[in-house]
Amino acid sequence: MAPKYKFTYFYGRGRGEPTRLIFAAAGVEFDDVRITLDQWPKVKDSLPAPMGQLPFLEVAGGVTLCQSMSIARFAAKETGLAGKTNLEQAQADMFVDEISELLPKLAGAVFASDEAVKAEKAKEVDKMIPEKLGRLEKLSGANGHLVGDSLLWCDLVVFNVAFNVENYKPGTLKNYPKLTKVMDTVKANKRIADWIAKRPETKF
Amino acid sequence: MPSYKLTYFNGRGTAEIVRLVFAAAGTEYEDVRLEQDQWPELKPNTPMGQLPILEMDGTMLCQSNSIARYIAKLAGLAGKTPLDQARVDMVMDGMVDMGNKFAYEIYYEKDEDKKAEKKKDYVEKYVPQFFSSLNKLASDGGYFAGDELTLADIAFYNMTTMVNPYLEQPLSLDGFPKLQKVEDNVTSNPGIAKWLKERPETPY
Repeated sequence: MAPKYKFTYFYGRGRGEPTRLIFAAAGVEFDDVRITLDQWPKVKDSLPAPMGQLPFLEVAGGVTLCQSMSIARFAAKETGLAGKTNLEQAQADMFVDEISELLPKLAGAVFASDEAVKAEKAKEVDKMIPEKLGRLEKLSGANGHLVGDSLLWCDLVVFNVAFNVENYKPGTLKNYPKLTKVMDTVKANKRIADWIAKRPETKF
Repeated sequence: MPSYKLTYFNGRGTAEIVRLVFAAAGTEYEDVRLEQDQWPELKPNTPMGQLPILEMDGTMLCQSNSIARYIAKLAGLAGKTPLDQARVDMVMDGMVDMGNKFAYEIYYEKDEDKKAEKKKDYVEKYVPQFFSSLNKLASDGGYFAGDELTLADIAFYNMTTMVNPYLEQPLSLDGFPKLQKVEDNVTSNPGIAKWLKERPETPY
């Protein structure tokens, strides 16, 4: 039987990886469709992307969703990783909202080809990382979860960004003990560890 | 029922979507508007050092869209099913993208020639393309999810009216009849209509 969910994104982790991590953590099968940067301009107009962008998620029954964090929140709700109460869900949302700005800024610094532009972007990112991670550290739970006492989608969203931060400047997370504990808890999750071991290796 | 206290500066800004949801929901709340010199004292006592914040029964939430979603959920304005909720979320995210593009590419652009060029592109290419996608997502009755007013409809109205004053003329809904209906549904909602008449006139 075909999986209920078909997820289309670029080849890398980027904004799409949280949804993949959520399905992986829940042990839910999904179609993991990846479009290369070369293919994208050619297929763009023929894909059922509601706002002409990636990612989009096709749900069996005929609904197509877009916007990476809306898709991730939906996947989290479908798999019980959204938060137990309205309040917990709002608190999870807060973490996701705050960290989201960092990912495209980081991508800009990592992928810039012109040295002067790269240096400029790195300056902005180097300022933003401690601001954002500092705020999250202050609010994070101390038990290996950002909110409450179990793995929620916000842990996976923050893990995804922090993974790229560590690649960009190894050792950064050491300054944030509670966030480090969240990272370790995510990495120790067997299904997540298996996914990380088998997912394509990409720069970002 | 808990008592709600929303704190922001004296303007619409990122808090207005929350105020519109409270209005549509008919939920009473304290609408606190800070002067700039009151902010430094409060700042360290907020979850992420930013406004708006929502206080209720000893808890503080931050991040305007997370707050809006929380209040909307309690009032049944966030979508009735997980799929409808995802539809609401994706339209909200799309409106945030539209607002951010305006802010970062146009509002903050210092070079006058570049600014004029980007404004032209925004009004003549980007918005019509985006509105075309949105028009497809709206129902014939003028709702983005289900068949009644949700946070998505409110977000559409809020962001378009937020951007309009900075353009030569308001963004056109010609050719997007369903979006016109969305706008009409929002402005004719009794709670919102009352708020639009009574809310303080502010420069932003």
